[in-house]
Amino acid sequence: MSDEIDMPETEEFPAEVEIEAAPMMSSDEGADEIMAEEMPPADAPLTEDAPDMAAPDTETPNTEALDLDALEDAVQVDPSLFERKPEAPPFSRYVLTTPLHLSVAAESRTNLWTQWNGFTTPDILTSVDDEYRALRHAAALSDISPVVKYRISGRDAAVYLDRLVADNVLALSIDEAMPVVFCEDQGYVVGDGHLFRLGESEYRLVTEETHLAWLLDSALGFQVRVEDVSATLAAMSLQGPLSASVLAAAGFREIETLRPFAARWFDVGGMPAYASRTGDTGGLGYELWIDPEDAPMFWVRLLDRGAPFGLAATGFKLRELARVEAGIPRAGRDYLGAFAAVDPADASTPFELGLAALVDLDAAHFTGRDALRRAKGRPPRHLVVSLALGFPEAIEFGAVHCNGRIAGIATSTAFSRSLGINLAVARLEPVSVAAGAVLNVEAELRDGFSIRRVSVPARVLTEPALVLASRHAVPAPLISNY
Amino acid sequence: MERHDAIVIGGGLNGLTAAAYLARAGAKVLLLERNAVLGGADAAYDIAPGFQLARYNLGVSTLPSRIISDLELGRHGLRFLRVDGGISLFEGGYIASYRDGVVHRRELARFSLKDADAWTRFRRDLLRGAQQLRPLLARPLADPSRFSLGTVRRLLNTVSRWGAAEADALHDLTRLWTLSCADFLDDYFESDAVKARLASDALIGTALGPRAPTSARYLLGAFIEETVGASAGAPARNLAVGGPTAIVHALVSAIEAHGGTIRTEAEVTDVLMRERAARGVVLANGEEIHGQTILSDLDLKRTFLALFRWKELPEGFVEKVGRFRMRGVSAKINVALDGAPEFPSVPAGCPAVLGGIRIANSLDDMECAADDWRDRIPPRVPLIDALIPSLADRSLAPPGKHVMSIAVHYVPEALHDGPWTTERKDELADLVVARLAEQSPGIRERIVALETLVPPDIENEVGLTAGDLAQGETTLDQMFFNRPMAALAGNRTPIRDLYLCSASAHPGPLGVGYAGANAAALAAASLGKRG
Repeated sequence: MSDEIDMPETEEFPAEVEIEAAPMMSSDEGADEIMAEEMPPADAPLTEDAPDMAAPDTETPNTEALDLDALEDAVQVDPSLFERKPEAPPFSRYVLTTPLHLSVAAESRTNLWTQWNGFTTPDILTSVDDEYRALRHAAALSDISPVVKYRISGRDAAVYLDRLVADNVLALSIDEAMPVVFCEDQGYVVGDGHLFRLGESEYRLVTEETHLAWLLDSALGFQVRVEDVSATLAAMSLQGPLSASVLAAAGFREIETLRPFAARWFDVGGMPAYASRTGDTGGLGYELWIDPEDAPMFWVRLLDRGAPFGLAATGFKLRELARVEAGIPRAGRDYLGAFAAVDPADASTPFELGLAALVDLDAAHFTGRDALRRAKGRPPRHLVVSLALGFPEAIEFGAVHCNGRIAGIATSTAFSRSLGINLAVARLEPVSVAAGAVLNVEAELRDGFSIRRVSVPARVLTEPALVLASRHAVPAPLISNY
Repeated sequence: MERHDAIVIGGGLNGLTAAAYLARAGAKVLLLERNAVLGGADAAYDIAPGFQLARYNLGVSTLPSRIISDLELGRHGLRFLRVDGGISLFEGGYIASYRDGVVHRRELARFSLKDADAWTRFRRDLLRGAQQLRPLLARPLADPSRFSLGTVRRLLNTVSRWGAAEADALHDLTRLWTLSCADFLDDYFESDAVKARLASDALIGTALGPRAPTSARYLLGAFIEETVGASAGAPARNLAVGGPTAIVHALVSAIEAHGGTIRTEAEVTDVLMRERAARGVVLANGEEIHGQTILSDLDLKRTFLALFRWKELPEGFVEKVGRFRMRGVSAKINVALDGAPEFPSVPAGCPAVLGGIRIANSLDDMECAADDWRDRIPPRVPLIDALIPSLADRSLAPPGKHVMSIAVHYVPEALHDGPWTTERKDELADLVVARLAEQSPGIRERIVALETLVPPDIENEVGLTAGDLAQGETTLDQMFFNRPMAALAGNRTPIRDLYLCSASAHPGPLGVGYAGANAAALAAASLGKRG
C-alpha cells in the first residue's frame, strides 16, 4: 500500500492562495493562522509576508549605480497595484460561494439551492431520483468545500491530537484517515469528523462545524499550530460503485489500490490532488482535497471523463439521504455540540450518539476520558438511533411515539428510493429503544385537499439500513475499458 | 365623590401596563398623570417642528412579548421593526452586531477567528442564564423570608430548577452572576474590539464599569427575550414604529377599550389612608378620589416620601426607603439633523447602523468613565449610544431629515463642585458632538436642533428621584427578592391595598412592563377579578 509519493508531502498551498481565496471566507491575512505556542518556523511556509514583502522589491530595484530618485520619477507605477483590495464587508453577502460555485451552478437544472455552513450549496441539481441512481449505481460528484478543515502541525501535533480526540491517534500512519470524536471535560461531544495524517507531524481535521476556539484552548502547553484552512482548500466528493473507475479514467493512477480510509497524493494533468477513500455514503467513494484554483478544472475533467460511466453532479439533498441510509448523525442537525447545547440535557456523550467505537477508554489520557469512564457505567439519557418506517411513500414527521407518549424526535428524515422505506435518524429515550418497545410516528398524508393522519410503525435499526460490500473491497472494483 | 376599583398613580410604561391589565380584568380603573403628556420618560415631544423623539428614552422601545400578546397591542396599532443590534465605532474601524449567525460570526472573524467560534459558547451560556432568569421576571417575587405556603412552594420550584442543572451549569451560572464583565468576557474572547462591543451593550444605564464585580450579569439583558431557535447571531433590536411613544399610544388605546379612564395634568399629592390601608388619593387641586386599591408607578422614594405623612408609615420604614439607592447615570441629548450622518469607516449599506451607533473604544475607556462618575465629574470619555430611529422609521422626521437620540452614560446627577449649569451641559454636549464628529465629519453642520438633558432635568420633569431612569440601582442587593428592599418584595407595600408597579419593584429595568403586569395581577386578585 505504500505507493510512491509523487507529489509534495504537504498540502499547504502557496501563500498567495490563502489571500486570494479570501472571498470564500473573509479573514484577515494572517488571522487564519493562530499560533497556539511558538514553534520553530522551519515546518511550514508562513503566509503573512507575501504581498507586503513583494511591494518594496518591485518599487525599488536593487541596482546600485542607478539614481533611484530619478528612476522613481521616470517610472510611472500605479500605486493602486500594490494596495490591498478592501475586503467585502460581512453583510454584503449573507451566504458565500465556494470556489466551485460557478461550475456547480452550470450543472443546475432546477435552481434549487440551500445553505450549508454559510455557503450556497445546491439542494438538487437534476432530480433526487436521477442523482440517487448515479450514487448507488454509477458515480455521484458533489462539491463539499463548505466542510470545515483545520491544519494541525508542529512537533506536538500527534500528542496534542491524541489528547484531544477520544481514540488512539498515535497509531494513525501517514496518508491514513480515521473518524474521530472529541469531547469536553464532562465527556459531552464537542464535534466529530475525520482526521487525516498528512505527514510526520502534520494533520488535517475535517469537521461539520467550526471548533477553532476549542482546538486553540486545548492547544495550550503543546507545541502545535492550528489553522483554519477551509478557505485554502477546495473539496469534492466522488461516491458510488464506479467512482474508482471514474477517477482512474481521469488520471488518478492506481486509485483502486487505495484501501478504505487511506489517502495519497496524485498528479492529475499537472495538478496536485490529495484523494482519500472516505465519504459518509456507506459505499465506495472518495474525497478529493485540492487547490481552489484547480478545483473548477478538476470538476470539468471528472464530469467529462466520468460521463461514459454515468457520473452525475449531485446536491445536498442526496448527501443527506445517503447519510441517513448509512445511519450517520450530523453535527448541528442530529446532535448539538456541547458548546451549542443551551439545555445541558441536549448535549450528548459519544455513547449516546452511537459513536462508542470511536472511544478508547483504555487509551492514554484524553479530554473527557474520566467523565466518559463514569458515563459508561451510567444508563444513557437518550440515544441517537436509525429508524426504519414501513411506509411506501415519503412522509413527514417529527415526534416519535412509544406506547402512546412522545419518546423522542426524528431529527433527519429521508425516503430511501432503493429500499422503498422511510428512514430517520432519531433521538429517543433509552427505554423506547429497548427490545419490545412499540414505536410509531404520526404523519399527515395529503391527497389533493384531503388530509388524513396515519400512524406508521417504526423500528430501531441495529445496523445501517444500507450496507454495501464495495465499501471494503480492495482493490476497489474497476471497469477500465468502458 | 368619585369611586374606582383601582387608581394608578403615574402614566409611565409600567403604570399604563398595570392599568391595561386591570381594565382587561374588568376593574374600573383610573390612571392619573401629573404631566400633560403620558409616557413618563418615554413621553414624546417635537424637538423641532416635525422632528419627533421620546424625550428621556435611552433607546429601548419594546415591551416583553408576553405583555404585547396578552394586551393584544397589535390590535391597538402597535407595530415593531426588527433591526440588527447596532455598531460600535472606534479609531480606524467599526464592529457590528448582526442577527444572522453566519454573518455575525464572519464579523467577529474580522477581529479574531477564535472569537468567531467562541461566540457559540458565549451565546449558549447567556441563553442558559436568560432561561433561568425568564420565569423569575414574569411573576411577582415573594420575599423568601416570609414563609407562607405559596412562597415556600415557589422558592422550592426555583431552587429545584436551578439545582437540576449539573454542577457544571451551576458553576457557569455563578460566574455569570458574580464576575465582572471584563473577566467574564476574557473567558471567551481575545479581541478588545469584540469585548468592548459586548460590554457596552450590557452596561448601558448602569453605574458599574466593565471591571466592577457582578457587572457580567448585565450581559444577560439583551438575551432575555432571545429564543434558542433564533438565527444564532447577536440579539436583534426591536423598534416600535413611531418610537417608544407608539407603545404609550397602544397602551392608552387598550386601557380605553376596556373602559379605563385616564386623566392627565392630575398630580397626586397624598394617599388617603383608613386603618393602615390606602383608600384613595388627593390631587393637587384638593380633589379626593376613592379607590379600593392604589398602584404607584412612582419610584419607591417618591411614592413613600412624597405621598405619605411619614408618621403614618411603619417604624424604620422611612429610613429604609431613604437608603434605597437611586442615582442618575445617564444624560440624554436629542438632536434633529437635516440629513443622514455619514460614517466613513463603516461600509456603505451596513444594515446594522439601524440598530444604533455606539462610541466605546475600549473597556479601559468605559472603566475610566465609570471612575469619573464616582468622582462626580462629567465623563471625559463618555459611553455614547446614539440611535437614529428615523433611518428605519421615516415617520419620525421630515423626508430626508433625521432625529438622533443620544444616550450618554456615566453622567453623575450632581457634580462635585456644584450643580449642572447651562454652560456645563453645553460642555458635555460639545464633547459628545466632538466625539461623534471624529467618526462622522460634517455631523456638526447637520445639526438643526439640539437639547441636552441631564439627570436633574429628568428628576424635575419626569419625577424620578436623582434622575435615575432605572428607578433604583440595579446592583444585586437591590434586585429580585431584594428589590426594592428585602422586606418589600413582590410589589406589595407595608400599606394594605397599595402596590408598587414602577421599575423600583422587581424586575426593574430587566423587563419594563413586567412590574406593572405583576402588580396588576396582585391588585386584580385582591379585587376578586380574574387576572
